[in-house]
Amino acid sequence: MAKQAVVVERMAGSKPHRGRQIALEIVTLLLFILFMMPFLIVVLNSMRTNAEIINEPVGWPANIGQLWTNISDVWNNPNFNFLSALKDSVIITVLSLAIISIFSAMTAWVLVRNKTKWSSLMFFMYVAAMVIPFQVVMFPLLTWFKQVGDFIHIPLLRSYQGIIFAYLGFGEAMSIFIFHGFIKGVPLELEEAADIDGCSRAGTFFRIVFPLLQPVFVTVLVLNGLWIWNDYLLPLLLLGASGSIKTIPLAVQGFNGAYVKQWNLIMVSTLLAMLPIIILYLFAQKYIVQGMVDGSIK
Amino acid sequence: MSSKAKRKLTEMLFLLPTLLAFIMVIIIPFIYGIYYSFTNWQGTGAASAWVGLDNYKTIFQEPGFLHSFLVTVIFTLFNLVLVNVVAFVISLLVTSEIKGRNVYRAGFFIPNLIGGIVLGLVWQFIFSNILPQIGKSLGMNLLSKSLISNKDTVIATMVIVNTWQYAGYIMLIYVAAIQGISKSVMEAAEVDGARYWTRVAKIQIPLMANAFTISLFLTLTNSFKMYDVNVALTNGGPTTVFMMKPVQASELLALNIYQTAFKYNNMAAGQAKAVIFFVVLTIFSVIQVSYNKRKEIEA
Amino acid sequence: MKKILALCAALVMVLSATSALADLVICQNKVEITAALEAFAKVYEEKTGVPVKVITGGGSSDYNTVLKAEMQSGREPDIWVIEGPTGYELWADKIASQDGAEWTKYTSAAYIADGKVVGFPVAVEGYGMAYNKDILDKAGIDPATLTNFDAYKAAFEKLDSMKAELGLDMVVSMVAGTTTGMTWVTGLHNFNVYLTVGNERNDTTYIDQVLAGQVDAERFHQYCQYVALIFQYSDPEMLINGTQDSQLAAFANGKAAFYHQGNWMDPSLVTLNPSFEIAYAPHAFLHEDTDGILVNPPSWYVVNANGNTEEAIAFLDFLATSEEGADYMVNKAAMVPAFTNVTLAPATPLSKSVMEWNAAGKTYDWQQYKLPDGFGMGTLGQIYELLASGAIDVDTFEAMMIDAIAGIAK
Repeated sequence: MAKQAVVVERMAGSKPHRGRQIALEIVTLLLFILFMMPFLIVVLNSMRTNAEIINEPVGWPANIGQLWTNISDVWNNPNFNFLSALKDSVIITVLSLAIISIFSAMTAWVLVRNKTKWSSLMFFMYVAAMVIPFQVVMFPLLTWFKQVGDFIHIPLLRSYQGIIFAYLGFGEAMSIFIFHGFIKGVPLELEEAADIDGCSRAGTFFRIVFPLLQPVFVTVLVLNGLWIWNDYLLPLLLLGASGSIKTIPLAVQGFNGAYVKQWNLIMVSTLLAMLPIIILYLFAQKYIVQGMVDGSIK
Repeated sequence: MSSKAKRKLTEMLFLLPTLLAFIMVIIIPFIYGIYYSFTNWQGTGAASAWVGLDNYKTIFQEPGFLHSFLVTVIFTLFNLVLVNVVAFVISLLVTSEIKGRNVYRAGFFIPNLIGGIVLGLVWQFIFSNILPQIGKSLGMNLLSKSLISNKDTVIATMVIVNTWQYAGYIMLIYVAAIQGISKSVMEAAEVDGARYWTRVAKIQIPLMANAFTISLFLTLTNSFKMYDVNVALTNGGPTTVFMMKPVQASELLALNIYQTAFKYNNMAAGQAKAVIFFVVLTIFSVIQVSYNKRKEIEA
Repeated sequence: MKKILALCAALVMVLSATSALADLVICQNKVEITAALEAFAKVYEEKTGVPVKVITGGGSSDYNTVLKAEMQSGREPDIWVIEGPTGYELWADKIASQDGAEWTKYTSAAYIADGKVVGFPVAVEGYGMAYNKDILDKAGIDPATLTNFDAYKAAFEKLDSMKAELGLDMVVSMVAGTTTGMTWVTGLHNFNVYLTVGNERNDTTYIDQVLAGQVDAERFHQYCQYVALIFQYSDPEMLINGTQDSQLAAFANGKAAFYHQGNWMDPSLVTLNPSFEIAYAPHAFLHEDTDGILVNPPSWYVVNANGNTEEAIAFLDFLATSEEGADYMVNKAAMVPAFTNVTLAPATPLSKSVMEWNAAGKTYDWQQYKLPDGFGMGTLGQIYELLASGAIDVDTFEAMMIDAIAGIAK
């Protein structure tokens, strides 16, 4: 008690720290500006013509109206088709996230609540898989998906279900890892009470455990969401350049010509590609950051 | 069905979707991949013949591959240190009493939102145009030329860019850990007259051991598998001389594998390199995690 | 929760109804002509009712990834691009003969393998030393005299001494950086100068030697001196850090007298509105006179023997022999067609110069594409960069190049 009282007193009279406080704020602000600088460059270059960018890669836009010209160039470009790419990116990202997070949470929960040799082995296997480089599996995956698709008569290539299934495979290891860490800290008593009340095993999970996972859920959604949204190689391989389904990164790459790089359009299209996720992030940042903070560690 | 059997069945069903995806997407292609590394597979669908260890023998005589190994290890070490130091410092800043710390927490995370070609492009601008301009006006020799095309500084540029992108993410893990330490512990130490850095070193860091294990593991695998930043920022260059042969100064393993498979059109050798890559990464990860776990217990 | 899962499942089922594929699928590697080619495909569909779909993989390794992905997964295109023997050999068992196709009557640039016509020349491309006529005039240099090493040396020296009054930053706008991915300029295009300059087209003496791990010592020595000369009069920053864009900008803005690039840069060049006359001078690296620039198809369309072979060939015939095809190649895609029946002439400066050299019959072959994959851009490109950065001198350069070439034979 006595100690606490002293603490309160010291906190109230923490004036000696004033100088340090200001120094801290300046350091943080400078670091922050450093972190934001590249975004400024993207935004500024989105407002310039290709010739301006080629002649002088960094500079103030001569005419802000160029931004609208660039946007309309991108919007009306038949190669890009922003809206359709946006639709495909949203469908793939949202459905992948849904199944990754639900299935990974289910798996992690069963693994945590069953302390057997098998469950530790399985958990170890998922963690070990996190170190498998994508390059080892990418081409065999393609051949294999083709064979399986032909066999079960559901196409796994150039289709939404194929790439979503692949994202489940590539994304689950990390997600199980994170859920596993969190669920270890969830007290068992609630579940035991539900058990005694005659709740089924699935009921216990979905009614009791699932709501408790909300903060870590956000973490898993954000991490996987960023990766899937920005991913280039897997969509290129599974959806193919000729498919009717095209994600935003595939479409952006269309401007990255072998000989002629249209930097202004690359900048604008990337800005457009970034916007949805940044807007989403800014709206949800409170939950995201809190979720990451609560979830990533326990 | 007895309730116990039903319970088991439910749990099996819960494990099934992830296990199925895991086997179909990772395990089977991975086994295929290992198999192909012992053949002369070309990735064209044409039949391939068994060549035994030939691919492995060739790649270990290749200066470019050995050099890639070396720079990947160097990059990983520096990256591990810088990402974690920066992330830890930022996490201390944003958990201190400064104004707007929530805004900062959100802002430092933003570099994670973009990736790929834009990231490399923007940083190329910075290293090849902005910094040389600043360097010239300040009369600093080192800065007056692009740091990317200098073989002695190129790895440093990649570490900087990766730190820029990744530190905000690791920061959140540290923030969580710091907030998990009960206030009274820190305050008690303050009352006892311990200085700030002593408190951080003697109390905070030991109590955050678990967070360090996770962060180091994530940074380790992330650095080792680094591909995007490498290809977009340096493309593996510039050239340097290693074992009397010209090699790419900043070509990390993942890029080297990709180039072997596509630029040099040697899919089977690329697969063999990927298998070696996997083995080494696994060893590194196991060492790091078990070392940290031991430290955690000691603490 | 079950409801959500069921909903997901239902959604997936609905979405899985993928759209029907086009009758003809073309997989190609020139991003900059994608829009023009797609527009031409539409025209073809309106005329014949055969839908054509264009797939594009940008850059060389991206194209290979895309093509392999398409083939691996059983989505084989009907027409795709090969860039030389490695591309041909990789897919040889799938490539159909185009012997007797209508288009073969109008070109001498078809890709021929095992005595059969298998590849349709996509275009003709050329490169040499592009020059800024105004600057050469002011310096009193007649580009027609640039036909040997000594003439170039004298011209470079003169221009270098007059840099200030001519407003030049550098004599030659040249790039060799690996970080900027420009090693194809050195390791492929410049190296080809050694392989073919001064020889009859189809004379394979030097490429055959290189593939056997050998070089002609005296010729190679002279070639290395020429490389060193170009690098000496280039801007060191540009050499290492220059991108395609900055290399072009230096020349288009009058900051460089010479420009080591091909006519494929025309679309970008015209957007910078150069105010001076531009043409090509030869890469004359020998002490004796050689007069010609390097011209060849950069790639060929091959036809899938297991696909819609006849329709694919009909499409290529239409491309080569119709007015719409000529309009697409020359006006829309800004290419120099490889066909004698096409009378449209390109309006852009570099392409125009290539046409003129071609018409005069003063061209040398391209044989760099016969090098193993990655050897020119990768292995050799790295050695050029070492010389460009000053890490090695020209003698070490020569020795390293010879050593690398000797390694091919293994």
